[in-house]
Parts: sequence; C-alpha cells; structure tokens
Amino acid sequence: MKRSTTVSRRRFLKGSGLAGLGLMLRHSPLSAAEALAEEPEPYRRFEDVYRNKWTWDRVARGTHGTNCAGTCAFNVYIKGGVVWREEQQAEYEPSGDDVPDYGPRGCQKGLRHSNWMYGKQRVLYPMKRAGERGEGKWQRITWEQATDEIADRIIDYSLEYGPDSISFGSGTMMSVKLASFSSLARFANIAGFTVPEFYSGVGDLPTGVYMTIGTAYTGDTMAAIYKSRCVLVWMANPAVTRLPDAHFFWEARYNGTQVISISPEFTPTAMHSSLWVNPKPGTDTALAMGMIHTILEDGTYERDYLCEQTDLPFLVRADTGEFLRETDLSFVATLAVRDNVFYIWDEATGQPRRAPATGLSDKPIGRDRRRFETLELGDLRPALEGTWQVETRGGTVEVTTVFELLKRKAAEHSPERAAEITGVHPKVIRKVARTFAAARPAMIYTGYSACKWIHGDLLQRAMLLLVALTGSTGKEGGGLQIANAPKTRGMMAFAFADVGPAFRMVSSTTWDYEHGRMKELTEKVYGKELAEDWDARYQESIREDYFPSYGDKGWKMGIFAGNNGANWRASGNRWREVGFGKLETIVAMVPDMGCTAHYADYVLPIAHHYERTDMMLQSRVPYVQVLDAAVLPLGESVDDWTAMNRLAEAISRRARERGIGAIRDDVDGRTVRRDFRSYHDLYTMDGSIESARDVVQYLINVTPGVPKMSFEELAAKGIVRVDDSDGTTWDGEHSPYHNEVARSVVGKRPYETLTGRQQYYIDHEWFLEYGEALPTHLEPLAIEGFPIRFVMGHARHGIHSMWRDDPLMLALQRGEPDIYLNPDDAAARGIADGDPVRVFNPAGAFVAMAHVSAGIQPSMVFMYHGWDPMMFEGRENFSAVISTAGLIKPTSMAGDYGHLGHRVLQFAPNQTYRDFTCELEKWDGNGLA
Amino acid sequence: MNQVAMVIDLNKCIGCQTCTAACKSMWTDEPGQEYMLWNNVETVPGCGYPKDWEQDGGGWVDGKLRPGRLPEPADYGMDLEVNHQEVYFEGSEQRLQAKPRAAAPRPDEPAGKTSPLRILNNEPEPEEPSKDPQQWGANWDEDSSSGEYPNNYHFYLPRLCNHCTKPLCLEACPTRAIYRREQDGVVLIDQDKCKGFRECNKACPYDKIYFNHVTGKSQKCIFCFPRLEEGVAPACARQCPGRLRFVGFLDDEDGPIHRLVYGFMVALPLHPEYGTEPNVFYVPPILPPTFDEEGEISDQERVPTEYLESLFGDGVGHALETLEAEMEKTQRGEQSELMDLLIAKDWKAMFAIPDVKYA
Repeated sequence: MKRSTTVSRRRFLKGSGLAGLGLMLRHSPLSAAEALAEEPEPYRRFEDVYRNKWTWDRVARGTHGTNCAGTCAFNVYIKGGVVWREEQQAEYEPSGDDVPDYGPRGCQKGLRHSNWMYGKQRVLYPMKRAGERGEGKWQRITWEQATDEIADRIIDYSLEYGPDSISFGSGTMMSVKLASFSSLARFANIAGFTVPEFYSGVGDLPTGVYMTIGTAYTGDTMAAIYKSRCVLVWMANPAVTRLPDAHFFWEARYNGTQVISISPEFTPTAMHSSLWVNPKPGTDTALAMGMIHTILEDGTYERDYLCEQTDLPFLVRADTGEFLRETDLSFVATLAVRDNVFYIWDEATGQPRRAPATGLSDKPIGRDRRRFETLELGDLRPALEGTWQVETRGGTVEVTTVFELLKRKAAEHSPERAAEITGVHPKVIRKVARTFAAARPAMIYTGYSACKWIHGDLLQRAMLLLVALTGSTGKEGGGLQIANAPKTRGMMAFAFADVGPAFRMVSSTTWDYEHGRMKELTEKVYGKELAEDWDARYQESIREDYFPSYGDKGWKMGIFAGNNGANWRASGNRWREVGFGKLETIVAMVPDMGCTAHYADYVLPIAHHYERTDMMLQSRVPYVQVLDAAVLPLGESVDDWTAMNRLAEAISRRARERGIGAIRDDVDGRTVRRDFRSYHDLYTMDGSIESARDVVQYLINVTPGVPKMSFEELAAKGIVRVDDSDGTTWDGEHSPYHNEVARSVVGKRPYETLTGRQQYYIDHEWFLEYGEALPTHLEPLAIEGFPIRFVMGHARHGIHSMWRDDPLMLALQRGEPDIYLNPDDAAARGIADGDPVRVFNPAGAFVAMAHVSAGIQPSMVFMYHGWDPMMFEGRENFSAVISTAGLIKPTSMAGDYGHLGHRVLQFAPNQTYRDFTCELEKWDGNGLA
Repeated sequence: MNQVAMVIDLNKCIGCQTCTAACKSMWTDEPGQEYMLWNNVETVPGCGYPKDWEQDGGGWVDGKLRPGRLPEPADYGMDLEVNHQEVYFEGSEQRLQAKPRAAAPRPDEPAGKTSPLRILNNEPEPEEPSKDPQQWGANWDEDSSSGEYPNNYHFYLPRLCNHCTKPLCLEACPTRAIYRREQDGVVLIDQDKCKGFRECNKACPYDKIYFNHVTGKSQKCIFCFPRLEEGVAPACARQCPGRLRFVGFLDDEDGPIHRLVYGFMVALPLHPEYGTEPNVFYVPPILPPTFDEEGEISDQERVPTEYLESLFGDGVGHALETLEAEMEKTQRGEQSELMDLLIAKDWKAMFAIPDVKYA
C-alpha cells in the first residue's frame, strides 16, 4: 500500500488537534499523517523505518532514586518486555509567579539508565564468596540459603555480642527512596542494629550552619535563585552537580542578577557567571572576612535586622569573653542554673536589658521558646556599638557587644590582608562585597564542599553572617542556600511503628575514628602535637558525655544496603584494611557490583530504579515523584522491602527452629526486648504490609506535606505538587520541608540556638581557646614537603560511584579516571596530557591519567569523586592520599552548651576530605610504591 | 521551502551531554552505530569529534566542492567495553577498565577479503582490538581550557547535522540518495538508495555523516522528523535540561528562531565560510571578565573575539554587543524582550512547531 506520510507545514497547523497522540499513548506513527495528507509528497519507504523505531508498547512513570537531588520525572518506554528508553515527563509548573518553570529536568545518566540497568555489572542472583575476600570468586546460592545463613549470623552475633555489633549502612542508592529507606530503617530498628549516620559520614553535614541557626537545613527551591539580585556561587559547582537546575543561574543572569562564582579552578559554573573570583584553595573564609570588613566599613548593613535576628547586640564581658548572663547578676539565677538569659544594652533606658526570648527551658531545645516567645524588640532599642560598665555579683565589669568584637575581628581581615592570603586583589574583594551588599535580596549558594574542609564550619558561619548583614536570610531570593531536606517524620513513623525508636544511629566519623584507629594516621601525617591535642579533646568530649563512645563495642558484621562505603571513605584503603578486617561477615545488598560488594561475603541482588515501586521527595523541587515498576526485576533481584522481608522471615523461622527466645537489649539506658521469633510479624505489621507498594501508601498517608492520594493516582500522574509550595521559599507551615528560618525571620520565633538568635558568637570555652568564638580564617592543614593541594568535587558523568563505569559515560570522558592539572605544574614534572601520573603523600599513592587544563590553578589538582577503587592500579583510588579520616576538630565535638552536643543528622563531626596536600610524578608503570 | 531550524544558546550550555545520550538512546543503539554520536558536545577550542574535524576539508570554496578527508575510526574513539564480567564475577586480577571494542565486520568484507569500497575510499584495514586503553574520545578535551590561568577560556559546543540549505552531502552523493524534505527542509539519506560510497562524508565539512559498517550505509541526524511530524521537538532539544535549544521554522516571523536569527541577529551559523548555509544557529557565549597583571578586573574579553569569529563569522561583534546591551538593561531593572526570549520562562515556548506536544 502506498501512502503519504508527510504533510506541509500549513496543513500541519490546520490539522491541529488531530495530529499526534502524545508521548504517553501507544504510538501510532502513520495515522496522523494519513489523516492530513492532501497533496502526497514522494513516498520514501525508508522513512517508515525511523517512524517505526519511535514506537513502544507501554509507558510507566519513573525516576532514578539516587541522591542527586534531581527528582526528575521520567516516562519509561517499554518495548518487547524490556525498557527501551526514557524521556522526561516534563509537566512541571513554575514555583510561584515570574520565575522559569522546572521543565524538563533530567541528565545524561538518567537518560542512559535504560542501558545501564542491563549492563554487565548487574548482580543477578545471590552470591556467596568462594575465594579470598576481594578475589572475585563466587558461588551462586539460592535466596533461601542466603537469608538462612545471614539470619543465623545475625542471631549469633546478637546473642554473643549484642545487636549493636552489627552495623547497617544504607547508602545513596536507597536512602532517598522513601519506601526503600523506610523498609531498611524498620528492619534495622526491629533488630537493634548500629546505623552509621551518613550525612556527617560523607562530610556533608553543615555543622557551621547548625552552630549558627540551630538547624543544618536551610535552603529553598531552585527557582529562588531567579529571585536573587546577587548570588555568590561559592564552594559549589551547580553546572556539574545540579544539571537539571543549573539553568536558573543563567536565566537569573539574563534577568539582571549578578552571578558571581568563587572557586580556585575555572569551573563550568564560572564559565557562565557574571564574574569569577579565584581564591587559593581553602582560603575562602579569609575572602569572606575581607568582604565582611568592607561591609562593616561602608556601613551598608541592615541594622534593624541584625538587632532583632542575631546575637550581634548581645553583651559580652570584656574580662572573660563570655556573654553577660543572668547568673552574673543574680544569685537566684545560679540556683536555677539559668545560664541562658542574655542581655542587650538598651539605648532607650541606658540600661542592660534582658534580650527577648532568652532564658526558657532548652530541653528539648527551644521548643517552649518557639511557641510562646517572640524576637520582636518592642520598646527596646539595642545598641550595636559601645562599651559600658555593669554591676555584677563579682563587681563592676566592662561589657561590649558582639558587634564590637566582630568589628575588631574584621579589622584583622582587611581586604589587603585577605588578598595576601587568598591571592584575590583587594579591589576585587571590595567590588564583590559592595555588589553583594547593594543587592536586595542577596544570596549565597553553596554546596557540601564547604563541609569537607576541617574549618569549613567557620566558612559557613561567615557566609551566614554575610547574608545576615544584608538582611537577606529568610527573604525570598536571599539567604544561604545549602541543603534542605524533607522532614523525616513519615519515614520514621513507618520505621518506628509498633516498636518505638530502638536502633542506634551513630556518628560515622567518630565510629571510624575509634574502630579504624585513625589517630595513628593523624600522628603519622600531621604530627604528634596535633594528633595528641585533638585526641585529648575527643576523649574529653566522650568523658563529658557530649558525644557517645563506640570504641568498646564489638563490630562483627556489616550490612551495606545500596552503600559503597569502601569507595568514598576518607583514607578508604586504611578503612578497608582496619575496618573490613575486623568484620567477620560482610553483606552487600546492591543492584550493581562495586568495590564494597567485591569485598563482601554475601551479595544480594537488588532491583534497579525502573524495577521497583517507590516514591521520592527531595528538597529543591516542590514535587513528590513516583517510581512505578516498569518491568520485573532482572534475574533474581528484588526490591529492598522484599529483601528485608525474606531476611526477617528467615530470622524468625531460624529462631523458632533453634529454640531461641527473646533477649534484653540496652539502648541508651532503655531496655528493649528483642524476640527474633517476632521479627517477621513486626516487620510486616502483622501481615498488613505486603509489598513496597503498601509502604508507599503508608508513607503518603502519614507524611506531612504530601497530598493525600492513592498510589494509583500518584502512579498515573508521575509527579504531584507538595502542599504549601506556592512561592520559591520553603516558608509554609504545611510543606514537607524545614522552614525554621522563615519561622524566625517572618514569624519572629526564636532560633533553636542557645541565644535564640542567629548566633555568631559562641562562648563555649573550647571556641574561646581555639579563637573561634567568632568566624575567622584558619589556614587549611597541609602536609609538609608536599606542595600540591588536592581538590575534589561531585562528578558530571556519575552520581557518586553510580554510572561511573557505564561504557558510554566512560567514552564521553577519557575511558578511565583522570586528574586535572595546570600546564605549568605538568611541564615542571615532565608530565604530558594523557600520561599516567602517580599521586602520593605519606598516606599512600594512586595512579590516574593527567588531564592538562589551563583552567586549573597552579599548585593544585582537581579530580571528580566517585571513581571506584576497582578502576585503579592496585585498587587504590584517591582515598589512598586523603589522609584526613583521623582529623576531628575539637569544636565539632563540643557540648553541654545549648544546641551544641551530639544531635543525629544535625551536629556531629564530618569526615573531611580537603585538608591535605600531595605531590605527583609521571608514573613509571611499576606498582604504587 | 519551509525550513525547520534550531538555535542553541551557548550561554546556557553546561556540557552535560544529555542531548548526546538522548540521541544515542533514540536512534543509534543498533549494531554498526556504536561509535556514532549524531549529536555530540565538544569543548572548544579543542580537537572535537571526530578528532580535528575542522581540518578535514569539505565544504564549498568558490562555488566548488573542496576535497575532504575521511576520518579514521580512531578519530571517533567511542565504542568501549568494560571488563565487568572478568573482574567482578570471574576473579580476574585486572583493574576495571574500558577498552575499545573490535570494529564490527563490514557486510561486504568477510574475513580475509578486502572490500572494493575500502580501496575506493582509501580506508585503512580494520585493526585488531587494541590492548591499550582509549587513546581518543568524543569528549577527550572536556574542560581542557586554553590560554593561560586565570585568563584561560573554553566553552561547550553542541553539534548535530546542520540540515543545510545548500547541503554538500546532497551534491556529492553519486547515487542521489540524499534529499531535502519539501515540508520541513530536513536533509535525509535514503537508506534504500545509499550504496555506501561515503562521498557525502567526505564532502560534509562538519563531519556529521557516519558510515554504518554493518548495514553498509551512511547515516546521520534526521532532526527527529518522526517526532516533528507528531508535534514533538527533537530529542536533543526536548530533553535538554539546560533549556538552551529553540526549535521552529525559519520563516515563522513570530517564532523564536526568526526573532533570534533575523530580528535580534544574535544567533549565528557555525563556520558560515563553509558555504553550506546551516540551519542550526548559535548564540555566542559571554564569559566572565579577565584579570589584568595586578589581579584587578580587566576589560579584555576572556574569549578572543577573533576566535569566536573564526567559528561564527562576522556577525559575532553585533551579537555580543546586543547581548551585553540587553543584559545591562535588566541589571538596571528594565525590561528586555531579548532577555525574556532567551530566559524562556515557559519552557514549552521554546518549541514553535506545529501542534506541539509535551505529554
């Protein structure tokens, strides 16, 4: 049959409404054209080959549930029972008026997932180690054998060493899929496992933000960038790490926003910015202080905002450097141990007056104050500047304000002084400061890199201070944008239902410090003095009970669920030796092989993104997103809910078969009864939860801010807008995201800090001793004799270790791990582009391909993270030279001070990754030594 | 003739290769197509994909075809396989590594026999699969910046078939297999008529035609015409998360293409001197200012204008001046029609094609 398949454009327009059935329906390529054809063009049979290629049997909604924070809605096209390709659903609305919408989102990894999910790295059936650990020799076993053997080990270790001898780490492959994570957490909770807290464990926890505003979560939708008039993109590279959202920056630039990129290397973000500022690596706080200096000198700060929202008007004793407290003035206060009543100097009355909203119970921190107290100043007129004499119980004392102290501190950091440290010209520093101060609103967009410097907390405090000076924190288009996250209430409700909180979430960094004997490493690399000093504080923190100790806990078994811990840990090679060496049993539950699974004793096959039912909720886009299983899981793989269900069933059955009864387990002083025989009933809520889909429905029902609907409705729509998400900021009471800052700035509720304010002055004795009571610049740590600073960042062609070994992604790079360096540094070492180079320092060595670029600052190298150790000579990746795992900064373990002290997912020391240096040479091809 | 066209805004391109992946999954996932990227993104200045394509000749010079060179397989360097099986499941002590896969045999060339086409085209004999890691790739120069720090420069250049108004491939084809569609000007290679002589490949100055060694035919970007016919923008454009590709018809005076190319004159063809009249246009990039010797901000532009002119021709000066003037307007808080157009708040408005569909 001969027929035309083509029409003129005019007729195309005329036929509006008839042509095309859209991307969701079963595709019928010829019908539309047929209906419209009037004047046949010459028929070309071969054109139909292409038309027929663009057809499919079925479409499912889905996404890639990784921790990229993208949450991109995809249509997954199924042809012949397999996933053929995927394309963005792209039905997003804008966040509020007058901003670009979110369409279409997506990235190259997501668009290749249909290929990757069928890749040769897939784990297809349960495997048991048949050779030495890491030898890659396996025996295929059944799920029943796998779960029975693992169940017996869980029972045995729990009986002999306690359930907390088993660590259960869920990684970025699972942690952001709500049903997966909730299922894993529920299982871990029932069994009482030790759960390493991954946020600080990967060095992402913004502790400086927490110190200042009492929450680690502050950030709005990505569209808020468009509302800013000046945005400093600082310690962040969204053109690489936020592919679906980077457009907001360039659109803002077109809209008149000054987009100023601050990074030592010429990043892809710098490429499209209005201005690029290039400090030496690790000197950013000096730059920030130089800017603060300029703003204070110019007087371009928002006085009223500072008086109400910050501790800058609070009075400080000149003699001790501590805040003036009620206990200084009143004997009665000392009896009540009321040391959190603070004072301002009231210009109206010429008297010190109690600062509003200070002095109430702080357990739980700030709850009472938030509800009943206000930051509003009323008749008070706080002085920012001045010194006064105050009568205390101990006599007359001179007091001044935090603002005065800040001025003195800033005086040490003139732009000229900052220029010496940073290499940035003082005029550039002033220009940036003035551009920033003149902008309303002004924003700092930062990333997790700021958390990966040992003194990154000081940088975050300085950043918050900068935005506060312009009065922009809490305003649409302003403030510090670092990380928001959905509140975990829904997931925790599921995890804890019928059981209560009964697992142990531990600080991952301190766990590793003790179990990995990391102090030895610090001593070797940074010297005895630093190692001893910081270790003494560490021990004091444990002694004073600021932080718990884990060193005396046995550690027998590690379960890694979607977690490639052996890849990313600082000093990973040491961790693999000392940490893995301790473990008698290692279980990896993964869809794809990687270093951790390679060294495991059991590998369980887990379903991939398009093979599972789940939902996503991430912080920068106001949508909840479905994963509606497009196809059955490959091989014998199953989703996480099912895997844990099988394991729970095996534990209960084996306990019955072996006649093992309940044990008593002490969790933080509470006695928990754990009966192995009931694990399965508990896990399934007595059979009421039968699948991951039930978990999703449960989560929809209980998660605040998620519109109530059936799973079917969500699956049909793909994405659904979350509640209370009209504007670009997260300020709604009913949105699923943290809105503490807006509550304080707009609602005038006190911050959850000791002072109830954005707290820039911390008078904890350790902060005073180390000179960190105010934000200040401290030099990054370096290794003597090793001149090259090693800087890393999230990768463009992978999310962590995922997709890093996809053949197409590799073909779009250099086929193997590469390291960027400046042409002069390369030439000085006889290194040419493409040469293998050996990177080394006292901690270790690894080999990567030289990638020479004039965009790299001299005396530094840059490497994207995530490359798996398996891809390197001797299976040593960059972790070999990252000597920082034993660096735990004393102030990051301070406590007994209002909001400071161990608080899960809020305050714990980070794994840091930047404070070291190295050297490199052309590799001779003979080993690493 | 109605001519479909594309404008690519280089101020928004982040080099993420999503367009590359979108195209690959859509059209070039079959045997013989492994090395093909109908759409690619390369860092410029750089050697590009295939390597040194700008030195390969082709194009019109003084009204005549300029002889061109056929790129060699290694110039594409795309088809990799990874030893997952050996390392992860068979106990090999190798490291996990990507290596070039052996070239697929040609249909007209069974083992031990040399195809006449190979001789005709002066093609090298197929090589044994390399034991070495990849030596070149489509994105080898990724972020290899030129110039000198901190005044270095580079940017990303997405490339696809230009669907030229004077397509040289069409002129060069000895079997008349190449044609421009009347209804949209899309240039196609009729796979039934193509005999695989590869004259088109030599003639195309952009090296955007690929030879499929399995089918023995030349293949290239089809501007996703099946999608266009159904009101869906080409995959590279619709799937671009950077929102930088406008699609529409050149003569649609209200559409974004006409406004950007002829109205504001900020969108320019790549290498107009090749004489083929491309229908893919680029908004040239404005990079941040450079620094003088003292480290102060200098008024010397980061990308030398001569370099941009060598890519996009004489229109560069006007385009950059217009963009800068309009950006200054919005910085002062004034309205700018051009900026609104480039911002494209409503993403769907980027695609001015008949009966446009999104879902």
